[in-house]
Amino acid sequence: MSGIALAGASAGANSLAFAPANPVVLAGFVDALGQFLRPGNLASVFVDGLSKAAIYVMIAGGLTLIFGLMGVLNFAHGSLTMIGAYLGGLLMVTAVGGGSGPVTRLLLFFVALAATFAVLAGLGGAMEVGLIRRLYDRPPIYQILLTFGLTLILDELVRIVVLFYGLQPTSDWQAALGTKPAFLSQSVEIGGLSVAGLDLFEIALGALTVAALWAFLTRTRYGLIIRAGSEDAEMTEALGIDVRRVFTVVFALGAGVAGAAGMLLMWDPAWAASVPLGADTLLPAFVVVIVGGLGTFRGTVVAALLVGMVDAVMTWWFVNEIEFAGLPEMTIFLILVVMLILRPQGLFGVEEVGGH
Amino acid sequence: MYSVLVTSPLGAEMTTVLPDVETMITVFYFALFAMSFDFISGYTGYLSFGHAAFYGTGAYFVVLASNGKIPFVAVDTPFVVLLVLAGLAAVTLSLLIGAVSFRLTGVYFAMITLGFSQVLYVFVRGWDYAASNPRDGPAVLERTEPFSVGVPGVDSLNLAIGQLSGDEIEGLFGLLNFSATEVSYYMVGLVALVCYFAMQRIIHSPFGKVMVAIRENEERAAAIGYDTFWYKLGAFAVSAFFAAVAGGLLAGFQRSVSPENSFYFLVTGDALLAAIIGGFGTLAGPLYGYLFDETVTEFLSKTGEGGGLLPYLRSHLGEGTLSTEVYNGLTVQQGIDTFLNGHAALYVGVVFVLFVLFVPNGLLGTVRDRLGGPVGKEIAERLRSDEK
Repeated sequence: MSGIALAGASAGANSLAFAPANPVVLAGFVDALGQFLRPGNLASVFVDGLSKAAIYVMIAGGLTLIFGLMGVLNFAHGSLTMIGAYLGGLLMVTAVGGGSGPVTRLLLFFVALAATFAVLAGLGGAMEVGLIRRLYDRPPIYQILLTFGLTLILDELVRIVVLFYGLQPTSDWQAALGTKPAFLSQSVEIGGLSVAGLDLFEIALGALTVAALWAFLTRTRYGLIIRAGSEDAEMTEALGIDVRRVFTVVFALGAGVAGAAGMLLMWDPAWAASVPLGADTLLPAFVVVIVGGLGTFRGTVVAALLVGMVDAVMTWWFVNEIEFAGLPEMTIFLILVVMLILRPQGLFGVEEVGGH
Repeated sequence: MYSVLVTSPLGAEMTTVLPDVETMITVFYFALFAMSFDFISGYTGYLSFGHAAFYGTGAYFVVLASNGKIPFVAVDTPFVVLLVLAGLAAVTLSLLIGAVSFRLTGVYFAMITLGFSQVLYVFVRGWDYAASNPRDGPAVLERTEPFSVGVPGVDSLNLAIGQLSGDEIEGLFGLLNFSATEVSYYMVGLVALVCYFAMQRIIHSPFGKVMVAIRENEERAAAIGYDTFWYKLGAFAVSAFFAAVAGGLLAGFQRSVSPENSFYFLVTGDALLAAIIGGFGTLAGPLYGYLFDETVTEFLSKTGEGGGLLPYLRSHLGEGTLSTEVYNGLTVQQGIDTFLNGHAALYVGVVFVLFVLFVPNGLLGTVRDRLGGPVGKEIAERLRSDEK
């Protein structure tokens, strides 16, 4: 993990500075390393990494579910997340109204989360039945193309709605950010370490998502059918299970999870509800899913942790030592590229899946 | 042709529907990029989702070279030479990316190329060597004279292109007058046409046949004895070359580039759109696809430059109809503003999805399927068979 991170860092540093390493820079680097290794900093970077990982796992969870069973790489996933952010924000803004207390807000959040999940699951199901179903017997490229087209349509529709209701004079929607309970914006002291409340909330929700999906896949009968379907769809069909219907359910589920993730992002000032959020979340989701191995849920969780941690470490380095704003973003894609070179099937991917 | 149509009895309708000359220049250079995308994606079946990397390389190369920021390339190097150099730079890049990427197939190939291009995009967006404000991208500052297309060294054959600074020609053969924009139109079109023929030539060569063989069944192509890796890499390099030329034309015409209109992955998305609507795996198809895209965009543009829906309706329906309330205080004009103007992406997206579902071969591909073979040849045969 750190190997990849350091390789990314040094390559970036060299190509942007175009200068030979001089002693001063080197001394600064050693100083920074010392700073970085201090327990306080290390711990805060760790918490930051965890909260990033939680976000990544929520965005990527639905994507990997859909790919695992159906082999469809859903390009519209980011747009579904974005719709979730707006829808959730809209529900919150309407419900919170005249300044409810923090606990009420939190309760409302979970109600709105369930509603967003339901609406997007419905949308996802409709998409599968109406459009994607027609393409299963074509080469996989056509599914990429179709879902890419859907992205255009969904983004533009949202833009029309946003414009029509005058929601968004600015680039991100401040009203939704305003519904955040105050205690999430404050920092909490844990063992002498100050942690942002929102970070903890994100970590908790991420863990909850992972646990819920995990339990659904391994502990329920339907999860068993889904796993069987992704192992061998034909055989499952031969056992008398309607795999087509399972496809619809999984697609709906994946879309719902995407929406729920969007709902969470709405409160995070680093993301916030905006139309470009679709593209912004889609790419990290792809990276996480591919690094973990397409279609393996375990891989996605591990990859989200990996990417989140590397991202947090790099962000710390580039804020404190090397000034190059784009580099944390760049490291995410460097992880993708390095992973595909070293191990194309991903961390937990099966060779056979990686081959097609 | 344009002026004939516009001055015809249907003039008003034509101005509304047809794109204006300036848009057509964009269509030319972007269609060239879409063709180069189709060259690799449509003919070998490897979806190069990061093709914008090469387009951006070409565009940045030209702008940086004309700011004297590329070593050993003088500021006043002829534009055509710059295009070729930009192409070669992209070829080098494509060999590096391709050597790694072509070990993968299908979705993975699309993703790794996307990954590479995003790395470049983020890098360029923060690279303060390229521009003082890298997020907005560089503009041509050092080089004051416009870029000209022509034979280097022969002044009379060079014609400058550019949005505001191109050449004008008056009294050619005593008859023809061209405005600066029209000169740019023909010159950019000329470069695009030459590149089109070059790619067409490659596709119809034995090399091109191997590319199609790889698309149809790579294992068989390998079994016959072709080293498919090198063929794929070769095709990728050729495609990168022309993508960079297209990017160079963009930079030459606009005199500035931004990371968003060159390296961003949605630029590749636009090329994909054009290729699918026009015909995936037909080289000329992307031109028609992008022409369609731009026409719809301009027809529904907010400003209504060069015609468009709103100015047309305003002059034909009159204010009375437009300010009629339809629903809850929403007038017709507001309705059009809200749901139509500026939202071309929605309608292009719908058309795109319909094409993916029902017309997988695209406009040109379907025409070819119906007529079987190159259109011109087939029409002649049909006419002959009708005579019997």
